[in-house]
Amino acid sequence: MNIKKFFEKAAAAGITSCQLRVSSSTSTSISLFHHEIDSYSIENDQSLVATGVYQGKVGICNTQKIDNSSFDFLIQGIINNASKSEKTDSVDIFPGSPKYKKKSFFAKELAETPITEKIDLIKEIENGLFAYSDEISDVQGVSYSESSSTGALYNSYGLKLKAKDNYFFISAGVVAKRGDEVKTAGDYEFGTDIKAIDKKAFVNGICERAIKQFGGVQCPAGKYPTLLDRDVFGSLLSYFLAANSADEVQRKSSFLTGLEGKRVASNKVTIDEKPLLKGPLYTYYDAEGVARSNKRVVNHGILLTHFYNRETAKKAGRETTANGSYGAGKIGIGTTNIIVKPSKLPLESLIKDIKEGVYITEVAGLGTGMNVNSGDFSCQAQGYMIRDGKIAEPLDLITLAGNVLKMLRNVKGFDDRFRLQIGVSCSDALIKEMSIGGKN
Amino acid sequence: MISKKLAIDVLNTALATGGDYAEIYLEEDVSESVGLENGKVERVSRNLSYGCGIRILQGTNSVYGYTSDLTRKSLITLADQLGHRFSTKRIITVKDVKNERVKIINKMHDHLTDVPIDEKIKYIKGVDEITRGVDERIVRCGVAFVDNYKKIEIWNAEGDTAHHYKSSEERGRLAISAIAKDGDNIQSAFSGPGRCASWEWFTNVLDWRKEARHVGEIAIQMLSAKECPQGKFTVVITNGWGGVVFHEACGHSLEASATSKHLSVFSDSLGKQIASPIVSAYDDGTIPNEWGSNNIDSEGHKTQKNQLIKNGVCTNFMIDKLNGRRLGLPANGTSRRQNFKYEPTSRMSNTYIEKGKDDPADIIKDTKLGIYVANFGGGSVEPTTGNFNFSASEAYIIRDGKICEMVKGCTLIGSGKEVLMNIDRVGNDVALGQGNCGAASGLIPVNVGQPTIRIQNLTVGGRGGKLE
Repeated sequence: MNIKKFFEKAAAAGITSCQLRVSSSTSTSISLFHHEIDSYSIENDQSLVATGVYQGKVGICNTQKIDNSSFDFLIQGIINNASKSEKTDSVDIFPGSPKYKKKSFFAKELAETPITEKIDLIKEIENGLFAYSDEISDVQGVSYSESSSTGALYNSYGLKLKAKDNYFFISAGVVAKRGDEVKTAGDYEFGTDIKAIDKKAFVNGICERAIKQFGGVQCPAGKYPTLLDRDVFGSLLSYFLAANSADEVQRKSSFLTGLEGKRVASNKVTIDEKPLLKGPLYTYYDAEGVARSNKRVVNHGILLTHFYNRETAKKAGRETTANGSYGAGKIGIGTTNIIVKPSKLPLESLIKDIKEGVYITEVAGLGTGMNVNSGDFSCQAQGYMIRDGKIAEPLDLITLAGNVLKMLRNVKGFDDRFRLQIGVSCSDALIKEMSIGGKN
Repeated sequence: MISKKLAIDVLNTALATGGDYAEIYLEEDVSESVGLENGKVERVSRNLSYGCGIRILQGTNSVYGYTSDLTRKSLITLADQLGHRFSTKRIITVKDVKNERVKIINKMHDHLTDVPIDEKIKYIKGVDEITRGVDERIVRCGVAFVDNYKKIEIWNAEGDTAHHYKSSEERGRLAISAIAKDGDNIQSAFSGPGRCASWEWFTNVLDWRKEARHVGEIAIQMLSAKECPQGKFTVVITNGWGGVVFHEACGHSLEASATSKHLSVFSDSLGKQIASPIVSAYDDGTIPNEWGSNNIDSEGHKTQKNQLIKNGVCTNFMIDKLNGRRLGLPANGTSRRQNFKYEPTSRMSNTYIEKGKDDPADIIKDTKLGIYVANFGGGSVEPTTGNFNFSASEAYIIRDGKICEMVKGCTLIGSGKEVLMNIDRVGNDVALGQGNCGAASGLIPVNVGQPTIRIQNLTVGGRGGKLE
């Protein structure tokens, strides 16, 4: 692709400065069902995203069709977009940062491992799931996918940034049956080294979670000290991160408006963003081409910074935090590798003083059950009772309701079950009190 | 989008290793979006999604791949790579192609993508003005008009003559959101009417002024709503978008992708009573111009009106080709996908509970204490267990047969098997509501629908304590 030609054409059309992002990825996905390859797919993606300044305003356009007509489509898209925009606070194209921490964690060994070995791995996992217990009545599916992506960012000032990564993602789910009771559970692993997977622990973890749910009942509705499983806490925290977007704050539609520099959580809560974490999710520049670095977001409960792109930073009269992210036809705000600091306490110690409480292991329906502006939420949940400091009988078809900010302010502590995940990585969190809905 | 010769060559390459069905799905989708934020145009975008998906079936095994590169070399390479997943002898050689006639269900007078941007901007500015004019506590109002025009070509072969289908899908949607703020109290409301219809419908048939006003009013009313109580209650659910309950509680579990693998609570339910005898339900992809309607499905089958439940008895599933093979049943026009990046599977289109006999006013009048849900944010289900959840975006307490105070933070949960049996009243006011449904083959436009219904003993979650 002749990038120089694109910038020349754009300039000739009256676009004064311009950025072009080129991305392509190849993925292979395999799903097993009942010991056979149920589906096998090969995915080839490519896209161009162009941002440009036309008559003092910014326009943006993207296409997946990459041929001789692509440049004209993008240029016309920028002009149309910029011509109609009534935004008065757009920012120019970013020329480039003084320094970038360029690194690649592309896993050559993973890319060169024969697909047959990867299929054998998921077959082994599937066999393990079926063999675990007679109560595992079915395996919903075991799948392996591997994605390899390359990205490049160019601008009319001569900036040229490139990135390449790859990783695998394995997921599995089981159905457990006891009499008329049917329970499901699943899990996933991702990374760059398939040999590092502890298959036995992965299999046992899924099956145990399914079987332990048998006999689940509704507890009496009320307020309980609540232990949130790390995945549940991570899901809830993602709404805090979305509300911490400077764009939401500046539009006064975030529950974090006015709280930068103030207490938003208990002093047990410390949160970092680590885009430069070594591994497959390493990202050294954002969607605007700004160099990224690791930073502390919440320090012992104090919110140190919102997440800024260049536009919101300009409005706030400060520097961007390099959180520019492309989506829905605009440069918005996003995060990479959020890490919540765990403690050294095992789970058992964290709950030892709870006389009667609830341990929530799964939630469903948060996507629609969350008021993203107020942080109020109500969703379906399951888990266990905690009695006299120990995990007791399972709970099913209960509801969990609360408020994200209130939850963070009521964090009594974390345990040591930290797990690195895509998005938010954390350990289990104990909350002073949350509303549980069940029987009357 | 590709020549007949290339299509035959790609199909034959795909079928070289013993596949008994091959399919090429081509798509060119131009979408346009224009959006306001508090009255100012913040986004005008025109995007092009473009590519090809190739699928090969051998019995009940499938391989699928896609690419945006539609050159001969790219397509033949992809077909060859996919074909290598099978290793038996060729059983089909495609020699000719039959062009299939596609009946147009969604008739359009014009293309929404051809409507001048300035006209769309004027329209959404009119909407914005009404919504923001409701009350000064509306601090944020977003209005967008989004439309797309998708051209589709399908070439598929199960014998020596391939079938060729050409169709298109065209949709528009008005999205209105309002955020109201009073001190630390922030509440929101949304409405998103959509249709496979011309510009004239959006401007002259849709009562957009009423929609705009309603969104603003609900956001303001939510500021004074009390927290929803928690417990088990009698719940009356509105018509139209209220049908999301049936969509989640039952619809997904009747998709062949779940039933054919015995991963649904309704896997063995054909001919069995799965709902109260007063419940009948359909999935109908043929309703002209409706949001979930299509001329053909993603495999080229004509869309159909399928009765799923008759007087409480399960009569059919939504069945695509692959899962039809697993079930030993024919596909019934319900195979859908978001775009060429997704392998198609059985999905809903316009799914609704048929109208009953009750006057909706009587259903409310006959409820002593309960919850009335007038609108939902959405929901989800785990088809294997049938456990579902919905979030109400507008709900009220019913006291002594009257709709009383508004409540917020209301979630309904339950088991699909139980809730269908617990429907004790069905109104005569069936209506449809538009949404986007996400599942294995991506995010697709669907209508949900129902008349006003009443469900006994449903678990409601909120932060408001006991209902008194």
